Amino acid sequence: MDLQYNSSNNNPNEHGRNDQIVSQFLLKTLHIVLESRVPYIRPNGCRGNLSLGSQARKSDKWFNLALGERPTALDSLNFWHRNLMEPMIIDIILVQEMPDLVQNGSGYGALVETVIERWVVQYEYSRASQSHQSSESYKRTYKKSIILLRSLYSMMRLLPAYRAYRKLSSKGKACGFDIVYKVSSFSAPFTRSEEQAMKPYSFIPVEAQHGRLSVSVKYRESLSDFNLETSASLPPEIITDYVGSPATDPFRAFPDHKAATSFPVREIPPPQRPHSWSSGGPFMYNQSPPAHHSSSGRYDLSFSPTSYDVYGQRTQNYRPPTHHSFDDSPPFSPSPPTYLSSGGNYMQSRLRSETAPVSIPNPFITTPRYLSPNLSDPNRHSLPPMLPRSTRYEVSSHESPSAIRSLKKSEMSRVGDLSSASGSGSANHYSPSHKVSRDNKDDSGRFSGLLSSSGSPRVGFSRSSSRLSLQDELDDIDFSCPFIVDDVDTCDSPVSQSGVGGKQGKKSQDAAVGALVRMLRTAPPLRQDSSCCSDHVESQSNSSGLFMSRKTSDALEELKAYTGIKHLILSKSKDTKQQHLYTL
Amino acid sequence: MNCEVCQLKELDVEYFEIGEVLRCILHTIFFHRALGLVRPKDVDLELFEITYVQCGDAELEKKVDEKIDQFIDRVEKHPNKKNQICLSFFEVKNKQATWFTHKVEHLYWEQWYINLNVAQHPKPQSGKSHHSKLVLDPGESASDERNARRATLESSLHEVLFQIIKFVNEKKDHIPPIPNMEGVSFPYEITISSSSDSAFGMDMFKRMLQTGQPTMLS
Repeated sequence: MDLQYNSSNNNPNEHGRNDQIVSQFLLKTLHIVLESRVPYIRPNGCRGNLSLGSQARKSDKWFNLALGERPTALDSLNFWHRNLMEPMIIDIILVQEMPDLVQNGSGYGALVETVIERWVVQYEYSRASQSHQSSESYKRTYKKSIILLRSLYSMMRLLPAYRAYRKLSSKGKACGFDIVYKVSSFSAPFTRSEEQAMKPYSFIPVEAQHGRLSVSVKYRESLSDFNLETSASLPPEIITDYVGSPATDPFRAFPDHKAATSFPVREIPPPQRPHSWSSGGPFMYNQSPPAHHSSSGRYDLSFSPTSYDVYGQRTQNYRPPTHHSFDDSPPFSPSPPTYLSSGGNYMQSRLRSETAPVSIPNPFITTPRYLSPNLSDPNRHSLPPMLPRSTRYEVSSHESPSAIRSLKKSEMSRVGDLSSASGSGSANHYSPSHKVSRDNKDDSGRFSGLLSSSGSPRVGFSRSSSRLSLQDELDDIDFSCPFIVDDVDTCDSPVSQSGVGGKQGKKSQDAAVGALVRMLRTAPPLRQDSSCCSDHVESQSNSSGLFMSRKTSDALEELKAYTGIKHLILSKSKDTKQQHLYTL
Repeated sequence: MNCEVCQLKELDVEYFEIGEVLRCILHTIFFHRALGLVRPKDVDLELFEITYVQCGDAELEKKVDEKIDQFIDRVEKHPNKKNQICLSFFEVKNKQATWFTHKVEHLYWEQWYINLNVAQHPKPQSGKSHHSKLVLDPGESASDERNARRATLESSLHEVLFQIIKFVNEKKDHIPPIPNMEGVSFPYEITISSSSDSAFGMDMFKRMLQTGQPTMLS
């Protein structure tokens, strides 16, 4: 940190302290600005982190303003901002996706970036300020810097962009816009129209040893032009290929998106990321990798739920549509056929046949994701629990993998909403989505993964599962209904559950009754004929199989008991006995 | 050392808004004057879309709430008057402990005057209001008026906060050295006063401010 001063450095200590104050001031300012504008900048997503290391605690106490752990991205500033004389320009950029109807029919618009705030923090060196130097002027500088930073902190909350930040923090992807930042030592000046829309504000500079510390801002007075408030009420867009024919690849990236998204985190090299530290000097290439790595690490943490989303970008208006396509589809009981319609009527017929309420041992099977749009009420079971298993059926018959994908998609976006909506992002939201994203990786046939996707948010909401337990539960789901698994041929498997061999039992009963009637008709002397008739019956039943003959013999025994009763009745009155016989 | 005085813009508030407004203003001032180590705490107002910052000092919060309650009581007892809260920072000088008096001299170096004009009668049960804007009055016009009034108050409160920040930035030289402690670093006191509708006291202050002479009050 060598500042070239032509004046006499009669007090190197003083000099060093001044420099230290200036550089810490720059760091602190950057911290204040970013932590109140960019929601994902926090390392742990929590404020006032008390578990700071001692070193971090010390540095946090600068200017008597403890903000909590500094984001790792800021540490690279130290490395970058060697020259204290250069201004530090922090652009706060609002990113919105404008629906572009003219485009290639994909319905995805261009990303529009607007600078809503431009902060300029500078150590203005001036020789003239040396005239009133006195010893220990750094103390005055420090004291006044404290006040300046306090007022900066308050001001951050009074400017219009703070509302946008709060909205983004609370709603995440669902709000339809994003805020990114750019730190540089130079910036393109505003156009005239932009300049007119911006209002300036300058804090009173603080005198320092060889200059003064100044903080100023140009901000957009009104953000109403951006329709930030109305994103929740966007009309639902019908995405025609949402359900997905097999031809649609749900994981294709959208090439016309400039902004770095969680896809690019993994695939596209860093320079496209808006978190760029463009110092414009020789430091650029040195610094950007660390900055990107650290923030991409964070991005992974924050955005992995969206990483495999079909429309997976941080910003996007396309979240609301997918969201709304859930909400606005009419009652979800009929709608799964809609989703699975590409699978054919097979699915629908299965749905209709399997409406018998059956108790399902595993509770997690009961709320498939696409059936309960209201995430706040995870206990709603809007469909009979058979449905996911019928999905599985279809899967196993390879009827329509696209149907599964549509479920996955809806699953992902829903979970993505969850995790973003939670703001700080609870781990519970991460775990199901991590699980899902992992499963979604190979879309060739990890259908158990699909089931897990339908089951997992239920788990997420119950807030009781870590990733491991989720695995266990998902394993349970796989094996919860063994009687269904192999029985593809018959439609009767649910019915068969009501009694083992019920249908076959019914047949054997019919046969026994028929035999009984025949026997009774042909034989007044029952004793004589019973033996030959039972033989007759047995021969008949033998022909139909061992199972049936067993049943027949049981029936015959019953018959013998009945004949005994009959004798008793005969002895009482012959007429009524005859009638009884014939009515049997 | 001069005593800097800041007269904040007068606000027209309703009875139920007093607490929030006062808390917001007082804590904002304190945040800029508690120059010891603080862990800032953001607080959202319920009635307005404004976020202010507290020092995170529980004791300060308690004291502020007590004073606000006192103020509300005063407003109840003296309706139809402009009410004022004065937040003063002082230095303690020359603690003279003589045998007949314990005279502690307060050397004020800064004073903030928060002026509230409470619009509605504090007791809603009476149903009366000297502004005759009854809350019970149904109809769109009343609610529109209320909304408009609320919006006006919100922007005025915004202005007051800007005013505080501006004042805090402009006047820094009069602040005494910061003691090495956490939180609120300077002794302070909060006094409540109310003046008649003619507001002669405030007029006097305004005149004094206009002449540009800071007054030394002790």
